[in-house]
Amino acid sequence: MEDEYDSPSLEAELQRFPASVVSEYHKAEREAKRRLRPEDLDAWAREGIAIAQHSFRSWEAATEYFRATPEVAARMAFPQLLSWARWGRSLSADSPVVSSSFFRASPQVLNYIEPESIGRWATYGKGLYKGTWKSSSLASTYFESSPRLLQFLNLNELEELIGFIDTLAEKSYDLANECLANADGVFSKVEPPDRRSFLSLAAVLARSNWRDIKPFFENGSRSLVYLEKSQRSRFLSLAERLAKDGGGNAIGFLLDASAALGEIDQSRHVQMLGMAERLADVCPPAVGEFLRNAPQVLVRVKDQYLELWFEEGVKILRENEDGGLAFFRLESGRGERVLESLTNGVQLDRIKEIMTMYCRALSGRPVELLPTQDLKERGIGWNSSEQPTTEGNNIYLPAFVERYGSKELNFGWFKVIATHQVAHMEFGSFEFQFERPSSLFADQDQRMVIAGASSNGAHDPVTDVQRFFDLFPDRQLAADIFTLVEDGRIDHRVKWEYPGLRKAYEAVQREAVAQRQEPNTLPLRESLMEVLVRLSLEDPDVLTVHAELREHIEAIASLAKAVQRFDATVEDTAEVTVRIYDIVSQTPNMEAIPEESEERTTDEMGQSPDMEALQQLIQELQAGGKGQGDAPPKGRVEEEYNRPQRVEFRGEFKPELVQALENLKQDASKSESDMRQTGISPEDLKQMLQNSAEIEISEVEQGEIDRSMGMFVDNLINEAAKQQAKTQQGTQFAHSSDDDQPLANQEPETFLYDEWDFRAADYKPRWCCVREKRMEEGTQDFFDKTLKSHSFLVAKLKRQFEMLAPEKLRKVKHLPDGDEYDFDLVVESVIQRMAGDTPTDKVYWRRNKIQRDVAVAFLLDMSASTAEAVDEARRQFDTWDFPDDPRDYMAWLRTRREEMSRRTYKRIIDIEKESTILFIKALEAIGDSYGIFGFSGYGRENVEFYVIKDLDEKFGDHIKRRIDKITPMHATRMGPAIRHAITKLDRQEARTKVLFLLSDGRPQDRGYSREGVEKEYAVHDTRMALNEARRKKIVPFCLTVDRSGHDYLKTMCSDMGYEVVTDIHSLPERLPALYRRLTL
Amino acid sequence: MPAGKSKSLYRQYIIEEYILPEEPFYIPVQDEVEIFEAAFEQKIPVLLKGPTGCGKTRFIEYMSWKLGQRVAGKKASKDGARANGTGLPLVTIACHEDLTASDLVGRYLLEGQETKWIDGPLARAVKVGAICYLDEIVEARKDTTVLIHPLTDHRRMLPVEKRGEILEAHDNFLLVMSYNPGYQSTLKDLKHSTRQRFVSMEFDYPPRDIETEVIAHEGGVGRDIAMNLAKLGEKVRHLKEHGLEEGVSTRLLIYAAKLISSGIPARRACQTSVVWALTDDHEVQRSIEEVTSTIFP
Ligand SMILES: Nc1ncnc2c1ncn2[C@@H]1O[C@H](COP(=O)(O)OP(=O)(O)OP(=O)(O)O)[C@@H](O)[C@H]1O
Ligand SMILES: [Mg+2]
Repeated sequence: MEDEYDSPSLEAELQRFPASVVSEYHKAEREAKRRLRPEDLDAWAREGIAIAQHSFRSWEAATEYFRATPEVAARMAFPQLLSWARWGRSLSADSPVVSSSFFRASPQVLNYIEPESIGRWATYGKGLYKGTWKSSSLASTYFESSPRLLQFLNLNELEELIGFIDTLAEKSYDLANECLANADGVFSKVEPPDRRSFLSLAAVLARSNWRDIKPFFENGSRSLVYLEKSQRSRFLSLAERLAKDGGGNAIGFLLDASAALGEIDQSRHVQMLGMAERLADVCPPAVGEFLRNAPQVLVRVKDQYLELWFEEGVKILRENEDGGLAFFRLESGRGERVLESLTNGVQLDRIKEIMTMYCRALSGRPVELLPTQDLKERGIGWNSSEQPTTEGNNIYLPAFVERYGSKELNFGWFKVIATHQVAHMEFGSFEFQFERPSSLFADQDQRMVIAGASSNGAHDPVTDVQRFFDLFPDRQLAADIFTLVEDGRIDHRVKWEYPGLRKAYEAVQREAVAQRQEPNTLPLRESLMEVLVRLSLEDPDVLTVHAELREHIEAIASLAKAVQRFDATVEDTAEVTVRIYDIVSQTPNMEAIPEESEERTTDEMGQSPDMEALQQLIQELQAGGKGQGDAPPKGRVEEEYNRPQRVEFRGEFKPELVQALENLKQDASKSESDMRQTGISPEDLKQMLQNSAEIEISEVEQGEIDRSMGMFVDNLINEAAKQQAKTQQGTQFAHSSDDDQPLANQEPETFLYDEWDFRAADYKPRWCCVREKRMEEGTQDFFDKTLKSHSFLVAKLKRQFEMLAPEKLRKVKHLPDGDEYDFDLVVESVIQRMAGDTPTDKVYWRRNKIQRDVAVAFLLDMSASTAEAVDEARRQFDTWDFPDDPRDYMAWLRTRREEMSRRTYKRIIDIEKESTILFIKALEAIGDSYGIFGFSGYGRENVEFYVIKDLDEKFGDHIKRRIDKITPMHATRMGPAIRHAITKLDRQEARTKVLFLLSDGRPQDRGYSREGVEKEYAVHDTRMALNEARRKKIVPFCLTVDRSGHDYLKTMCSDMGYEVVTDIHSLPERLPALYRRLTL
Repeated sequence: MPAGKSKSLYRQYIIEEYILPEEPFYIPVQDEVEIFEAAFEQKIPVLLKGPTGCGKTRFIEYMSWKLGQRVAGKKASKDGARANGTGLPLVTIACHEDLTASDLVGRYLLEGQETKWIDGPLARAVKVGAICYLDEIVEARKDTTVLIHPLTDHRRMLPVEKRGEILEAHDNFLLVMSYNPGYQSTLKDLKHSTRQRFVSMEFDYPPRDIETEVIAHEGGVGRDIAMNLAKLGEKVRHLKEHGLEEGVSTRLLIYAAKLISSGIPARRACQTSVVWALTDDHEVQRSIEEVTSTIFP
C-alpha cells in the first residue's frame, strides 16, 4: 500500500513550486495520512500538483488547497473531498485568485452547508467569473464573504443574492463588490421570512434603478424595523411592485413610507398596507403620497373614517390623476374639506384667527395664538408640547384636539383652555408684587413677616414671585400650593366674569374631577393636596376624607375658598399659600389610620371665612403638628411624597418664569446706563433658574445642569430682547403714518394664501406664505435724478393727468334749492307766471363736488432677471420725450447727453423704477390713492412682499428713499403676490380699483412648476389669481417686457388687459396712457 | 311755512324754540361738565372729539339744559323771580359735503311776487343765543367751515353778505362742533385755522360701571344684563385695530339692551345689534360671537 503513495516523487514535483506550497503540503500530509487511505492520499496530492501547475500563479491556490485540507477532510468522505478539489482546480483554471478564495473559505463554509452542496456553492462563484479581472475579484469576494453570508442565508437565498449581484455587476462591478462584501451585515438585520422579498426587490432595483441599490442596502433593512413583523415582506413586495411599475424613487418610498408607518400603531399596518395595495392598482405614484401622509391623516380622522377619506381620494384619482395625487399629498382644498368633514377634531390652525381675536378681546392685549410646540422649541423652560400655557405674551395651545365626539365640543374645549390662559393675564396672575398688601388679610400679611425673619440675601431676587417662593424651605411644595390656589381663584373669576362660559367650564372641571383619586386613598400629605385640588375645582360632590385630617381640611378649605371671590387678588393667593403651606408641610406623608374616613361635601367644608378664627386654627394645628411632626407615632412610616397630578385643562403655569421674562424685557428697553444700575445679572438669573421649581430638567447629570442653565439664561435673554423689539415696533407702527424712520430688521408680517393647481383643478390650501416687509430706505438720489432727466416727460404727464382729473366742482343747474339763483331761470319763471303757466321753481344752481374714486396697486417684479440690461441695440433716440419747442429741445439735448454719459446701461428694474417715479408724480397730481409694492422670493414659504408705499400712506421723502432700494432679488412667484395685493385693495373703499402688474418675465419659482420645466403651472396660478381680482371688482392689468411673453400672457390674461412692451424705453410713456384707459 | 305747534298729528318747533323740556339723563364721566360750563362762561367755542355713539350729543343736550337752568337762575336772582326750569335752545346742524354758506346763514326765497329773506339756522342761533351744535364738522367743505371763523374768535359775529349785514352773537350763543377722529381719512382733516379756534374735549366710551348705568337706564334692563353688555362693549373695543375699525358704541349696546328688554334672547340681541352692526368680516363676526357667548349664558 505504501508503494502506491510515492511521497518522494511527489515531493520532487512539488519542489518546482514556491516553498510555501511544500510546507503546507507537509503540514497537510500529516493529517491526511490519518484520514485517507494511501491510494487516496496520492490522488489528493496529485490534485494539489495539478492545481499548482495550472498557471503562473496557481501555486497560491495549491497552497490554500493544502492548507484547507485537514479541516475539510475531517468533514467529508474521500470522493467528496476529491470533488471539492476538482471544483477548486476548475476555478483555478479560470483564476488562481478565485480558487484561493474558494479553498480558503471552504472549511468555514462547511459549517453551514452539506458536503454534497459544495458544488452548488462553487457554481455560483464560477458563474460570477466572466474572464475579466474585475469579475475575478467579485467571484473571490463571493467566496470570501460566503461564510458570513451563510450565517443568514440558505443556499437558495444565496443563489438569489448572487443572481442579483450578477445583474448588478453588469452595471457596476464596484458596486456589486461592495454590496456583496456588506451583504452579511444587511441580512443580519432582515428576518428570515423577509429575506426572499428583500432579495427579490433588490433584483428588481438592480434591473431598473441600480443606483438605488446602495442606499437600499445601507438603509433598507433598517427601515423594516418600523413595520409590524408579519407585514414586512408584504411591504417589500409592494415596494417591488412600485419599482417595477417605474414608480419613481423606490428608495424614497421605502424610507419615507416605512418611517411613516413607524408613526402609526402597528396593529393598523395590515389595514394601511391593504389600502396601499389597492392604491397601487389604481395609481402607483399615489401609494407613496398616501403612506407618507397617513400618520397626519390618522391624527385627524378616526378609524372608520380613514376608509371613507381614502375612498374619496381613490374616486378623485380615477377622475383626475393629479387631483388625486394632490389629495393624498394633502395639498388639495377638496382633500382638506373631506378631512374636515370626517373628523370631529379641531385643528388649531383652523380656528386660530377667530380664537386670536377672541383672546385679544378678552385680554385687551395683542396676544398671538401659537402651537405649544413653538414654545417648547424656544428652550426657555417650557417642556411640554401638549399642555396649554402662556409665557405672558402669547397663548400656546395644542395643535390638534380631539377629545370629544363633536366639533362643537372640541371647539368648546379650546375655548375653555384658551380662556383659562387669558384669564391668568387678565386677572393678574403674573402681576404679583411681593410688597403689595393682600385684600383679604388686610394687615395680617405674613410675607413681610417671614421675609424679615429669614433674610438670606445671597442673591438679589430677579422676580417678585421668586422672592416669594424663596420664603419656603420646600419650594416645590409652595409652588404647587400657589398654583392650585391661584388656578382656583382664576377659575372662579372666569365663571363669575363670563356667565356664558360657565356651563362649558364647569363641565370641563367636572371631567377633571372624575379623573382624580379619592383623597382618602392617599397618604396624609398627598391627601391634603388632593383635597386642595378638589377645592380648586369647586367640586360640589361628596368627598371621602381621612377623619384624622378633619381640622386640617377644615382650615385648608376655608383658605382655599377665601380666594374664590370675584375681587380676590394674586396677593391673596400668596397669603393663602403661606398658610396652607404651614399646614401641609407639618403633615407627614404617612398612611392614614384605616377605616376612619368620613364624607364631606366641599360646599360644607370651610364654612368659617372669619380670618381671625382661621389664624387661630392654623396656629393650633401648627402647634399640634410640631409635636408629632418629627417622628411618626406608633410605628407609622412616612412614605415618599408624590406631587398631585396636573389638572389637564389648566396646563402649565409658570409665574416665576413669566415674571423673569417680563423683567428682562423691561431691561432690554432701558438704556445702557440704566441697565448697569438696575439690570438683572446673568448670575442672578441663573440662580433663579436653578432654584425654580418650574424648570424640570429631566435626566441630566450634575455637570450638565450647569451647562443647560447657561443655555436657559441665554435663551431667556434672547427671547426677552426679541419680544421687546416686537412691542416697540408695534407701538412705532401704531402712530407712524408719516414716520420716516427705517424700521430695521422688522419681523415681517406673514399671510397665507391658497395656490391653484390647474392639473388637480383645485386649490392647494394655505400653500404660500407671503411675508410683508417695509422696504428699507436708501437715498433720494435716484428719485431726483429720474425727475431731472425726465423733466419734460414729467411736465407733459402732469398736464395729461390734470386733464384726466375732472373738474373738482361742477355747476348743476335746475335745482329747487341751491347756492344761488340762476338768473336765466328766474327770468323764465317770471315769464311763465305772467303767461299764466305754472312757473318752475327750479331756479337754483349749485356746485357739486365730484371726486375721483380710484385706488391703484402697483406690483413690481423684483426677480433676479430684472437685473438684465436693457437691450442696447434697441436703444435709439426715442421720440417720446422729444420736445417741439426749440428752446426746450436744447435743454432736453443737454440732459440727454448727461444721462448718456452717466449711465452706460440700464437694467430692466431701472426702467420699472423710473416708471414708478413718473407715476407717482402723475398720481399725486390727480389725487388717486395708490400703493407701490415689490415682490420676489424663494419658494412658497418665502414670498417677499415689499411695501414701498402702502395705499393709505402719504407720499413723502421716505417713499423716495425706499424706491432707491428696489433691486433685483430672487424668483418670481406671482400668484401669492397678486393675492396679497388683492387683499390690500379689497380693504379700500374706492369705486374703481386697479391692479397693475409690472414684470419682466414669466412667473417662475422653485416648486412653481413641475420638475422645473412646466411653465403652465405658474401661468395658470397667476391667471387664477388675476381672476380672483376680477371677482373682487378689481381691474387687473399685466404689463411685461418679456419679448417671448406673448404666449403665456395669452393664457394668463386672455380676456383681461395685458400688454407686451416691445420697446422697454417706451414704458414711462405707455404707463400713463394705459392708466387713463383703465380708470376712466 | 307755518310755524309753531300744530294741532294734533305731529309736533314741530321753530328751530330756536327747541328747548329741552326736562333734564336729559347724563352721567358725567370726568370733569367735562365743569369745563363746558367754564367755556360757556368765557364764550369759548368747544370742539367735541370722540368715537360715534359715545354720548357727545347727549352731553350737549344735557349741557344746554343745565346752562339754561343757570342762566335762568341768574336772571331770576336779578329779577327776584324764580327760575323757570328750561334749557337753552339747542340748534343742531348735521354737516355734509353739500352744506353751503347759504344753508347756514340764510337766503332769499321767492314768495309770490317778492323775494323774502329767510335766516339760516346758524343765524337764528346767533340771534336768540342758542347752543349751536355742528355735528360731524369735517364732513363740511372747507369753504363752508371758514364761515364760522369770525363767530369763533373774539369778534363773535356772523357776516351776512347777501344782505350786507353783520349779526352780533347773543350772550348765550355758543358754538360747539363734533368730530370723530376715528374713520376720517387723511383728506378730511380740519384746517388748523379752524381747529385752533376751539377748546377740545376728548370723549370716549364711558368706563364699565358708568356704561352699565347708562345701559340700564336707557335700555330698560336690569343691572346684571347692563353690566354684561358693558363688559361685552369693553371686550369688543379691544379689537379696534385688530380687526375692527371702530369699537362698539354705547348706542349699539343700548339697542341690544332694548331688544333684550322686549324679550329677545341676549345672544341673539347682541348678534343683531352688535356683531352684525359692526362688521361684515366673517371671521371677526365669529370671534365677537364667541366673546358674546362667553359673556351671555
Ligand atoms: N355718560 C353718559 N351718560 C348718559 N348717557 C350716555 C353717556 N354716554 C353715552 N350715553 C348714551 O349713549 C347713546 C349715544 O350717545 P350719543 O347719541 O350722544 O352719541 P354721539 O357721541 O353723539 O355719537 P355720534 O358721533 O354718532 O353722533 C345715548 O343714548 C346716550 O344715552
Ligand atoms: Mg351725535
